[in-house]
Amino acid sequence: MLRLALNMLFGDTAKLAMLLCGLAFSALLMAQQTSVFFGIMSWTYTPVVNIRAHVWVSDPMVEQANDAKPMRDTELGRVRSVDGVAWAAPLHTSFLQARMVDGNFKLITMVGIDADTFAGAPAQLSQGQIDDLRLPNTVIVDEWGAQLMGRQVKGPDGKITTVPLKPGDVFEINDIEARIVGICKVRRAFTGGPFVYTTYDRAKSYTLGARRTLSFMLVEPVAGVTSTQLCERIENETGLKAWTTDTVIWDWTDRSLARATFWWFWKNTGIPFSFGTAVALGLFVGIAISGQTFYSFVLENLKYFAAIKAMGASMRVLSAMLFVQATTAGLIGFGLGAGMAQAIGRVMIEKGMPPFVMFPQILIATLVLTMGISFVSAIIGIVKVSRVDAATVFRG
Amino acid sequence: MTHTIAVAARQVDISFGSEEAKVIALNHTDFSAHTGELIMLVGPSGCGKTTLLSVIAGTLTPQSGEIEVFGQRLDGLSQEELTTFRRKNLGFVFQSFNLIPTLSVVENVMIPLLIQGASHAVAKKKATEILEKVGLKGREEGKPNALSGGQQQRVAIARALVHEPPLLICDEPTSALDKDTGAQIMEMIRELSRAPNRCVVVVTHDFRIFKYADRIAEMEDGKIKRVVDDPRTLDPTYL
Ligand SMILES: Nc1ncnc2c1ncn2[C@@H]1O[C@H](COP(=O)(O)OP(=O)(O)OP(=O)(O)O)[C@@H](O)[C@H]1O
Ligand SMILES: [Mg+2]
Repeated sequence: MLRLALNMLFGDTAKLAMLLCGLAFSALLMAQQTSVFFGIMSWTYTPVVNIRAHVWVSDPMVEQANDAKPMRDTELGRVRSVDGVAWAAPLHTSFLQARMVDGNFKLITMVGIDADTFAGAPAQLSQGQIDDLRLPNTVIVDEWGAQLMGRQVKGPDGKITTVPLKPGDVFEINDIEARIVGICKVRRAFTGGPFVYTTYDRAKSYTLGARRTLSFMLVEPVAGVTSTQLCERIENETGLKAWTTDTVIWDWTDRSLARATFWWFWKNTGIPFSFGTAVALGLFVGIAISGQTFYSFVLENLKYFAAIKAMGASMRVLSAMLFVQATTAGLIGFGLGAGMAQAIGRVMIEKGMPPFVMFPQILIATLVLTMGISFVSAIIGIVKVSRVDAATVFRG
Repeated sequence: MTHTIAVAARQVDISFGSEEAKVIALNHTDFSAHTGELIMLVGPSGCGKTTLLSVIAGTLTPQSGEIEVFGQRLDGLSQEELTTFRRKNLGFVFQSFNLIPTLSVVENVMIPLLIQGASHAVAKKKATEILEKVGLKGREEGKPNALSGGQQQRVAIARALVHEPPLLICDEPTSALDKDTGAQIMEMIRELSRAPNRCVVVVTHDFRIFKYADRIAEMEDGKIKRVVDDPRTLDPTYL
């Protein structure tokens, strides 16, 4: 009978297509919305990802990675003297206005890294060399920034195109020249515009002699000391705050700067709420659509289930039939929806906008929800079929 | 020929609706049918034919009275017991065929066997055999909607008889069909259901098929008014 149940499901291609569209659309909506949500949230701790180091040290009042409470340069020495520190390098981060050749201003995230060690330098340069940062008045701009700050040119056909910045191009930060020597590939951030890397000392001059410029210290433990152990030692001995830099959302530790940043945005901004609402809406619409389509499938077949019931099929058999139909439709619908979400996600990742992080957990949750919807629909169907009077089969 | 009682309904009452707008469908109705016979239930619309049929089929439980089918009392059985009873003893032919459009012809016919627990292969073999008997060889894998009304009703007959039930119940089996097709269907029902232990109950409005009946029970206002052997002795208003 279960085989017939499946044939009943697959027998009507038009209805099946409707049902699968509903399920797939809702699975897509759930997976897609959640992935974009996590994508946006993962942008909040982009500095931790882009500026690579095992341990970050900050002023004790700092709450998250985009929050700089500059310290005195002398703190560096104190940290270096903590047992277990292999090296410690200064890091400056600030949000500044960059003035383009055409006079327009753009917000940038200035990152000043230690010129000796280049600790925290971008992992990958698509043009130029990191060593050239040692030349006077030089910066490295990320690819997004190169595009964003590029020059608009009007072609002969009147179309406006953007010529991205390239090594050799020049702009100004606080009236000081910034000559590009490299273009790097880094992740985009939620705040502060594109990343512009320079040396720590030069960052001081770009910020026009701010009293303190040491936003963070990047620290490497010696072999045999874990990041967590080192964090504890630094905090005990210096009174500063030390963070680990694990960014894997599912098992980040209590000391993770990424985690603190994630939750800081969660608590202090409206983003999680507005996006959370979109996710909830996606879930809700998804549940409604797939529940509704499966329910109408059951309704359309109710007459036939009644006939089968009249012929003597027990509720156990009828329930099994409905479950098989619901779970099969649910699985296929999930497959299609998740596939579409993946495909759309791939395009998004390529474009870098909007951010998209589809954790396997999102897919599992979507699967569980889709199957849950199918189960509930099946149960509603079963109740419906159990209520249907077998006698109705005699009525036209 | 000795006939035993196949179906006996005694003093059956059925009413629908609330106290103020009560419709009495069966009113102390007595009815009986024997094995080996084809009995027709006739009467004006609304007189209770379908209701009586549903009671005999165990799909409707009477408010009072006794129903006995092949010696088994149906009144007082639970829904589950009634389901088991129907599975073993009943074949249905409906006015509107009630074939499942998304299943193939042979799959439709397999259903009674499958719900009795037969394997897919056995059910398919038996269903194919009976489809050949009703003249539908070669149409097994098609969908019911691709067939004419008469052919669809033949599929329904095959489905009703594939598990060889002792009681065959037909509600207006010919009313959706033209005259000749209706006659063919009745020929088939008569031929295939002729078995000493089988009882066939046919509800109909269609006087042209009265001649296929062994006996005709005439209903009026929820009661059996009379039972005749010869259709020509019926009230001429039916003819
Ligand atoms: N489920 C129901 N709810 C309310 N009234 C019903 C129901 N089923 C039948 N009736 C009423 O019971 C009476 C008998 O109905 P039934 O269907 O048995 O008549 P019938 O003889 O089969 O008529 P027809 O020849 O039109 O099929 C009618 O008055 C009908 O309106
Ligand atoms: Mg009727």
